[in-house]
Amino acid sequence: MAADGTQGWGPGGPLPERDIADGFDRLIAANRLFGAELNPSVLKKSGKGAPFLVRKPPSRTRMLALWWDLFGHRVDPGELLSRLSVEVRGMAHGDGHLLFGRDRILYDCQILQGNEAVGHLTLDLYRERERIVRFLPFPTRPGHRVVYIEGISLTRQSTGYASALFRRYERLFHDLGFHLFRLKASLSVGKYYWAKEGFDCSDRKQFQEMRDRLWDLVWRLDLPVAEQEVRRLVHMADVAAFRPDIQIPVWRDREGYYTLERDDAHPEEVLFPLGKAFLLGSSPWDGHKVIYTDTPRRTALVWSEKYLSHGTPAGHPEGQKRLTALREAIRREGLLASLIVTEPYLPGMEAVHAIHDPAYLESFREAVARGDRYFATRDCAIGAGSYEAALLAAGGVMAGIDAVFSGRSDNAFCAVRPPGHHAGRAAAMGFCFVNNVAVGAAYARSAYGIARVCILDWDAHHGNGTQNLFEEDPDTLFVSIHEHPSFCYPGTGRRMDRGKGAGAGATLNVPLLPRAGNREMIDAFEREVVPAIEAFRPDLILLSAGFDAHRDDPIADLECTEEAYVHMTRRVLALADKCCSGRVVSVLEGGYRVDSFVASALAHIRTLQGREDMPCSSAGG
Amino acid sequence: MFVGRRMKRDLVTVPPGATLEEAARLLKGNRIHHLPVVEGKRLLGIVTDTDLRNATLRGAAGDGEGAPRTVGEVMTRDVVTLGPDDTIDDAMLILSRQRFGALPVVDGERLVGIVAKADVLAAVLETLDIEGIGVRLEVILPRDMGEVTRLSATLRELPVEVRSLVLAPHGKDRYAAFVRVATIDVPGVRKLLRGKGFTVAELSDFYEPG
Repeated sequence: MAADGTQGWGPGGPLPERDIADGFDRLIAANRLFGAELNPSVLKKSGKGAPFLVRKPPSRTRMLALWWDLFGHRVDPGELLSRLSVEVRGMAHGDGHLLFGRDRILYDCQILQGNEAVGHLTLDLYRERERIVRFLPFPTRPGHRVVYIEGISLTRQSTGYASALFRRYERLFHDLGFHLFRLKASLSVGKYYWAKEGFDCSDRKQFQEMRDRLWDLVWRLDLPVAEQEVRRLVHMADVAAFRPDIQIPVWRDREGYYTLERDDAHPEEVLFPLGKAFLLGSSPWDGHKVIYTDTPRRTALVWSEKYLSHGTPAGHPEGQKRLTALREAIRREGLLASLIVTEPYLPGMEAVHAIHDPAYLESFREAVARGDRYFATRDCAIGAGSYEAALLAAGGVMAGIDAVFSGRSDNAFCAVRPPGHHAGRAAAMGFCFVNNVAVGAAYARSAYGIARVCILDWDAHHGNGTQNLFEEDPDTLFVSIHEHPSFCYPGTGRRMDRGKGAGAGATLNVPLLPRAGNREMIDAFEREVVPAIEAFRPDLILLSAGFDAHRDDPIADLECTEEAYVHMTRRVLALADKCCSGRVVSVLEGGYRVDSFVASALAHIRTLQGREDMPCSSAGG
Repeated sequence: MFVGRRMKRDLVTVPPGATLEEAARLLKGNRIHHLPVVEGKRLLGIVTDTDLRNATLRGAAGDGEGAPRTVGEVMTRDVVTLGPDDTIDDAMLILSRQRFGALPVVDGERLVGIVAKADVLAAVLETLDIEGIGVRLEVILPRDMGEVTRLSATLRELPVEVRSLVLAPHGKDRYAAFVRVATIDVPGVRKLLRGKGFTVAELSDFYEPG
């Protein structure tokens, strides 16, 4: 959704340095701005005392440089202070002041209710440099702007104050161009509270261990929970909300700390819902939350290292290199902090059986287990990890759909492989084994109760698998724009194929002749695809996003560039805004020349985020 | 391939005494253009939608006196027919040269089936496997079976499934081999064949003149 930016950061660009400097002077005179350095002896302990040693403020030049680095002069110091100390739920900030460290600015204050101090808050504002480029001789890339929540403590419990304050702060720091909240969830209630607020575990390994411990707990208490349910948890928020129907006991000590096992120090037994109880009793974790920064839309990126375990032989066009190069480019371009990175999960087999014949999946699994080098056809090369990767690709689409329907993101890009759109109910072909978008469409229906799904396929090859699966279904509009079947694999997808039986009219094929470029692609898209989707009014748009219509791609003969993908992505988002609250889940299909593929996919992702700064050439970085 | 294998056996027919209106309804209702006229099983003639339309126009132009009213009056009696043992080649040649839309198939005088243009086209589609998964490549070869053998040996070495292979004359001293391969990596196959010295037509040769 477009940020409406109503917070008063005017369109006039950066404030003059003189205004900022005057602001410093006023705050210094009012005893509200100091220099500071961290106090290591206090930081190592917890709680009491200030975590920094107050000093004289640094030179004006240094303060201005730091201010520019953090705020780009969008706000003057006095205004920042007053916005930070906003009154929420009858609680105000007292003694709020800014402290200038060497490379960071701290905000420290008392939390007041009436005249009584009831708590304490410290924020740490800094830029996170990218470690990899730090030691190189050329200038470092400006890193993410981070708000580190050093601590918020309240002596009076749960008035919903912290939650309300951080919703305000999220908006404030969004408008100031900050990228991330970070914190250590270490307090008794913090671990549950921050999870509920949408903070994710920063360390993926730590999260996986936590998930393992949750499964241990379930197993030990013999709770009616399937392992699959635990495996598919990918966010702390999901853990916090996990199985509220099951209550389990935790034990509390006098200071309010919880443990999952009864001992002498924790005498008091309390019953809580499973997820909450588990988090209350778990160990501290490092959390972060993306503040949806300069991107008007929040885009989830579904990605897993396991997608690389689908090994294809050297020289095979659908190789791991596609994804490793895309991942590297996303990191290099600094997109990672603005994407909501989402881990896929292995789907329950019933979700896959909704689309595929169980016997077919079983023979695929057996071929992989036997160590076969390909399955069904020579195009479909397999390796040891192929079966799991194929299921995880479908689970990736499901995770993307979860992200969008839960509101964690506005749309999603699922960087999955192997691709899926050629796979039929019991057929592997054209590098595809499991039809990822099809599994996603069925899942969106069963999990979120929607009816009408549009699958738009702009891969250069016709999505014959998807068409076959849905050609009799009037509630699934399948639209494919591809190179003409007389010239291009798989040789299907002719204009006269419009669906069958009850699904007549819910299939639209738009073939393009070889050598068609942006103009032909966009013309056909505007003339045929847009009106069809508009008339259908879907509840969800799934994209089979292949990028092999690019002129540099070796596997097809179309001559498009990134601009075509940018154009189509924008239009799809606009259609989705009209029909289905912007819900678009884009799923990677083909695209085989690494540089043109990466450039196209990046342009697509940036457009999904609502960015306007699109590249215009195919130069791969 | 014999006509008996391709003809339609469940027939819509009409007796000679049927009215033109009845015949028109049958054509429309069954979405066909040709009605064999029979007495019992004996073929008397054939009537097409064009025959019916012309008769109606003639009737409307005149004063109605003497205008034809039954199928028997407007049907073609001198029908070109096939036997079940005639070949699809025969059917194609007749349909193409005489521009008929359909040919009744008779066993003696008894009507046993009908072969329409669409049935013959379906046979061609099937032979070339045009509806199956795959892409057509066009390889130009010298008119020499040795080269054809070399092509098939090369295809055998490639990691692709050949769905169909048609050899057609191409000018006086060459063949055009239409190879339909079931792989997504068609450019890879094209490159491999060229590497072995075969002439593989570019895509544009199919639709750009010259």
